[in-house]
Amino acid sequence: MNKPLLSLIDINKYFDNFQVLKNVSLDIKDGEFLTLLGPSGCGKTTILRCIAGLETVDSGDILLNGKSVVYLPANKRNVNTVFQNYALFPHLNMYDNIAYGPRIKKSMTEDEIKVRVAEVLHLVQMSGYEDRMSSQLSGGQMQRIAIARALINEPDILLLDEPLGALDLKLRKHMQRELALLQKQTKTTFVYVTHDQEEAVNISDRIAVMNKGVIQQIGTPREVYNHPVNLFVASFIGDRNIKEVEILENNNNYHKVKLGNNTVTIRCSRTAECKSKPGDKALLAIHMDKMKIDCNEMPNSIKGKVVSVHYAGSQTRTELDVNGQSLTAIEYQNEDCEYKIGDKVYITWEESGAILLPMEDGFEESGV
Amino acid sequence: MFNKEKFKQNAPAIPVLIWVGFLVGLPLVFVIILSFLTRDDLGNVVIKFTLSNYKKIFDPTYLKVFFNSFLLATLTGLITLIIGYPVAYFTANLSPKKRSLSIGLIMLPFWISSLLRTYGWIILLGNTGIINNILTKLNIIQSPFNMMYKFSTTLIGTAYMLIPFMIIAIYNSVDKLDKSLLEASYDLGASKRQTFLNITLPLTLPGIAGGFTLVFIPSLGLFFISDLLGGGMTLFLGNVINSQVTKGRNKPLAAAFSIGMIILVLIILYLYGKLTKDKKGEGLF
Amino acid sequence: MNKTSNRFRTFYLSLFFVILYIPVLGVVLYSFNKSPSTASWTGFTLDWYRDLFNDKVIIESFKISIKVALLTSILSAILGTTTAIISTYVTSKMENVIRGVMILPLLVPEVALGVSLLLFFSTLNLPFGILTLVLSHSLFCMPYVYLMVLLRLKEIDISIIESAKDLGATRWQVIKTILLPLVTPSIITSSLLALAMSLDDVVISTYMSGPTSTTLPVHIFSMMRVGVTPKINALSTLILVGTFFIVGLSQLLNKKSNQ
Repeated sequence: MNKPLLSLIDINKYFDNFQVLKNVSLDIKDGEFLTLLGPSGCGKTTILRCIAGLETVDSGDILLNGKSVVYLPANKRNVNTVFQNYALFPHLNMYDNIAYGPRIKKSMTEDEIKVRVAEVLHLVQMSGYEDRMSSQLSGGQMQRIAIARALINEPDILLLDEPLGALDLKLRKHMQRELALLQKQTKTTFVYVTHDQEEAVNISDRIAVMNKGVIQQIGTPREVYNHPVNLFVASFIGDRNIKEVEILENNNNYHKVKLGNNTVTIRCSRTAECKSKPGDKALLAIHMDKMKIDCNEMPNSIKGKVVSVHYAGSQTRTELDVNGQSLTAIEYQNEDCEYKIGDKVYITWEESGAILLPMEDGFEESGV
Repeated sequence: MFNKEKFKQNAPAIPVLIWVGFLVGLPLVFVIILSFLTRDDLGNVVIKFTLSNYKKIFDPTYLKVFFNSFLLATLTGLITLIIGYPVAYFTANLSPKKRSLSIGLIMLPFWISSLLRTYGWIILLGNTGIINNILTKLNIIQSPFNMMYKFSTTLIGTAYMLIPFMIIAIYNSVDKLDKSLLEASYDLGASKRQTFLNITLPLTLPGIAGGFTLVFIPSLGLFFISDLLGGGMTLFLGNVINSQVTKGRNKPLAAAFSIGMIILVLIILYLYGKLTKDKKGEGLF
Repeated sequence: MNKTSNRFRTFYLSLFFVILYIPVLGVVLYSFNKSPSTASWTGFTLDWYRDLFNDKVIIESFKISIKVALLTSILSAILGTTTAIISTYVTSKMENVIRGVMILPLLVPEVALGVSLLLFFSTLNLPFGILTLVLSHSLFCMPYVYLMVLLRLKEIDISIIESAKDLGATRWQVIKTILLPLVTPSIITSSLLALAMSLDDVVISTYMSGPTSTTLPVHIFSMMRVGVTPKINALSTLILVGTFFIVGLSQLLNKKSNQ
């Protein structure tokens, strides 16, 4: 296996007495698009700032190309950041903004700078904006300039701190595609921070899900989406019904579990879960959009009552009551069964939509 | 405890502290020392410890001087507050365009020579001044009405000189006021008057205290106003210090009186800090 | 109800501004009066202005005032800006100390400050004149530069500074290429204010002037003590025009650098 481009080794970081990063270790491969995903305050931006050198770590090491950079200040590290609010210099035009890095480091002649500025502007589709000031640009345009300003330095890693956070939904979707494309074109390693799970799933090669200063899971979008390792990841990525269940039988990777008064069969996908014994408690997590509502009894179905139906454009969100427990189903279309509030229905789900997670202390069934 | 990291971080501040310390700190130490010394008949300072300079403060003549200055500063603060508060309050409620015009007009006097502005009142109030001219021409009075060289003339001149400080201080606090608080107050059934007394006034109190302090302090020392408008009829601290240094040649006495003046300032700053809990004086400037 | 209160507001503000500017206008108006007394208006003249330019003492003290004011504003601009920038790099405790030390000269009444400087400089045997004037004037001008520059520095988005560092700038390069250009409008405005304040100072200059270096305000003050003469009106009017020119210039410069 190739050596990682960047390694974080056992990073700890405190703000006053509050620990924001707890033993964070992470390898970043050359050329990948890695996303740090988590709720606000989880430490993802702090990791980014530690890589950039804008924040010092309290313990641990950071290796870039195999060499420790942990004592190097930000201006000596060959990584560049795209800030959330773009941070374009208000007193310089776009040309001078982009030329700032090479001029400061005296890494290019003015002639070279001219060529390179034109190149990166072309890359971010902003040719012709050289003379504009940042006050004359829209959010999306400033974003592109900020990226160009970082890329001109040919950094080992481009760090992006919620770069699309301030854009409206439509532009955000568009920029997601462009960023992914830009990353492939430039073959630059991107480390991307976001709290938007959908965005992370859309653009990343790998996702590191974080909570409370700890990396919970690292994997491809498919892995973290379909096979979350714990309750936090399961509830943060994708809409799931999460219920406490009791293991009744463990047969050839199929479990019979007790959900309320019903017994359902679940296929376990992770070796850890396949070892649970009858009588153990576990958490059953079912993707809401992999559930199906039928009017007639089906194999492996459970009986429930429709509590509410919320129609939202392409999808229908149905709240169901199963022996006093509430389940939510999201359906894109259902031509087999027409139901209304109060109807008795049968609920099934795709086999791949349901997984078992280890029971966690303090788990409380909330309606979320 | 010596912290090397912190020292390194703070090292650039040292020249600044030395510079200002040299020009303000040392002279003040000098004045304190001098205030305890004696002078000979020729006005030369003699290095002999005495408390007589401070005892003189309690001499009825000089006590009156202190009282006059204190009264002038306090009344200046009150008058500028009463006249200036509505100006600041109304200005904050103007439309943006009119507001910047109003602020411009309030600030402009800062740039106009203070001597000119004092002299303007001589032109207005003098026995042959504009007001007396008009009143005589209109036959309202027969002989000129004497308005110069009074305590109140000095008061007018001092208040006039310093009122922009008061207005700006109050304006800043009115401007910072969250307008939704006023709307909430109306919404809860308060009248305009009640809202002003219960919401606006308490919340702009720091501005009032700041303005009062900013007006009080300089009014102790603007001796040229009382010289030109008061004509030396009422003695103020500033004039006494000035004449002791320039004419009386009693520098130790002037030093002691300067310390007395600074103590008055410290009292007002202490009261300001107590009232607004603004220990760093951030609201002042 | 609303209309009347609006009308009262306009009335109050107008009245206030009329009173605020009447003394100034009175001085300007009577500088053109033929009669040497304000008792009556006898006709328009420019004689008093002509008188001014023949008065050697006035011309001399004006030159000194300008020299002192220029040196003061340059010194204040350098020291005030440096201090403001330094205070953003030190610990917050030290920042408060600097702030306290800087506003100290503004909290001491001018007479007390002037007297203490007089005693101090005379003990040091410093020759009274332009040097003492500039040192003492910069003492009360520098805090304004410091405060205005600091205010602007605090407005600068921290991520702009971080992004400069991120792009390879050292601390010194950040100051030179980012901070200084961004605070330039504040430096210009505050050093022009320093210029105006130095040109206007009477109290401290009274103690700091040397035998051959009286500033214009000190001279005007001594003229005013003697009595009213339209020559003072004319001189004051000229100074007024001069300061308005400075104010206009600063507005213009600020507008330009904001674009």
